[in-house]
Amino acid sequence: MQPVTPRVMPRRGLMLTALVLAAVAASVWRLDLIAAFAEGQDSLGELLGFLQRFAAPDTSPAFLAKVGQGAIETLAISLIGTLLAVIGGVALALPASGRLGRLGQLASRFILNLLRSVPELVWATLTVLAAGLGPFAGTLALALHTTGVLGRLYAEALENAPPAPEAALRGAGSGAAAAFLYGTLPAVAPQWVAYGLYRWEMNIRMAAILGFVGAGGLGAQLYYALSLFHEAQAATLIVAMLVLSLAVDALSGWLRRRLVVA
Amino acid sequence: MITLAALSVAYADGRRALDDLDLSIAPGERVALIGPSGAGKTTLLRVIGASLRPTAGQLQLDGVDPWALGSGPLQALRARIGKMHQAPPIPPRQRVITAVLAGRLGQWPLWRAVASLVYPLDIAGTRAVLEPLGLAERLFDRCDQLSGGQLQRVALARLFYQKPEIVLADEPVSALDPALARSVAVALNEDAKRRDVTLIASLHAVDLALSEFSRVIGLREGRIVFDRPAAQVLTADIDALYAGASHAAAHDTPDQHVPSAKPRLTRCA
Repeated sequence: MQPVTPRVMPRRGLMLTALVLAAVAASVWRLDLIAAFAEGQDSLGELLGFLQRFAAPDTSPAFLAKVGQGAIETLAISLIGTLLAVIGGVALALPASGRLGRLGQLASRFILNLLRSVPELVWATLTVLAAGLGPFAGTLALALHTTGVLGRLYAEALENAPPAPEAALRGAGSGAAAAFLYGTLPAVAPQWVAYGLYRWEMNIRMAAILGFVGAGGLGAQLYYALSLFHEAQAATLIVAMLVLSLAVDALSGWLRRRLVVA
Repeated sequence: MITLAALSVAYADGRRALDDLDLSIAPGERVALIGPSGAGKTTLLRVIGASLRPTAGQLQLDGVDPWALGSGPLQALRARIGKMHQAPPIPPRQRVITAVLAGRLGQWPLWRAVASLVYPLDIAGTRAVLEPLGLAERLFDRCDQLSGGQLQRVALARLFYQKPEIVLADEPVSALDPALARSVAVALNEDAKRRDVTLIASLHAVDLALSEFSRVIGLREGRIVFDRPAAQVLTADIDALYAGASHAAAHDTPDQHVPSAKPRLTRCA
């Protein structure tokens, strides 16, 4: 069979390029970016000056101690929030995988969808209204959203676990709870732990942001510092967030390799 | 005493896996079930193990109909019956000691089961059952580090640790090489003799059935073809049992209870 050679050069690539260029041009025109640049000759200098004030972070011992407190608070919010979510996720994943009948499955799936579809920041604005400003509201907001995420993942892991080991233990007279612990838990536990650690990594960053709506931790301090134009302090806080997030990533990655692969 | 009276198991489409069986097995008997694939051996073992409810007729274990019991007493009854499967149903990541301790879950209260997950409660008892099987040094290894033969011996250790009054083994040696198959069959029979308990095992290896067990039941198409002391089974009986049912053809018939005809021992579950 002869390969089919096109008689004309295909024009699809050419048309796509033209379309993208047209879209970029239209956006620049629509946002008046050129005019903004022309006007902003001196505001560019202002912007540089603003950034320069971030170049010298506040390292006074008194402020560093305060940042340390904030970092511990943020760490605690993410840790307790994730831990509560692991517990809530397991509690909802068991019925959501169909272990307690059709009705329980539908009800728990509905709750999980609801928890998951509301973002952490929206939960935080609600919990701040309900529980007042502070770390408790942040912890609760993280726990609620993460329960929805983990519950669904945990239920999927349960549905994919082989049923034979648990069925065999039931056949030998074991109770339902013990048969689950010895028959199915060993198959799903590594996945459950890995998902939990992964969400913890995400939650440490989210816990830092939640402070902006009043939910405590480093975020709250950063919000005050920026509001009061304390750029040096803001710089310290941003570095602290970065360090905390990198540290948690490294710790969680190490734990996951140890617990899951080994 | 195990008694089956006019017992049948029918599938949803009306086909009969077991057809009007009458059978009684006295305590301490060691029975081999043989017959072509699809004869109903697995179904019969599941019925005797109170895992599968007969569609007609009655099963009695020591004069008790398990299906007349409430869920609590039924669970207690099942705890007295030990089961062994062709593919050991053990989670791959479980430690050998935990897999063996799981044999007593039916006798332990829940708190004990949970505590033993945190720290194994009966290390000496587990070692004692693994020692004669040559696995004592694998006590704390994970099951996915074991070979298929070793894993089947862990399943055997779990069974011995349970100390059941009735042992039901469904093709326990089909996935093992001949030497290992014989040693597992011998270990099952030695344990049953020593503790004077009932053993019922389905087998494909006719030679093992005749040499190790006290009674042999030939099963075909859900009916008993012969039922004799092992010493009195004739070659003609065996030939008649398997006549026309070549293994290849028999494997093609759907068997709802055997999950897979092929050995799946490279993985634990």
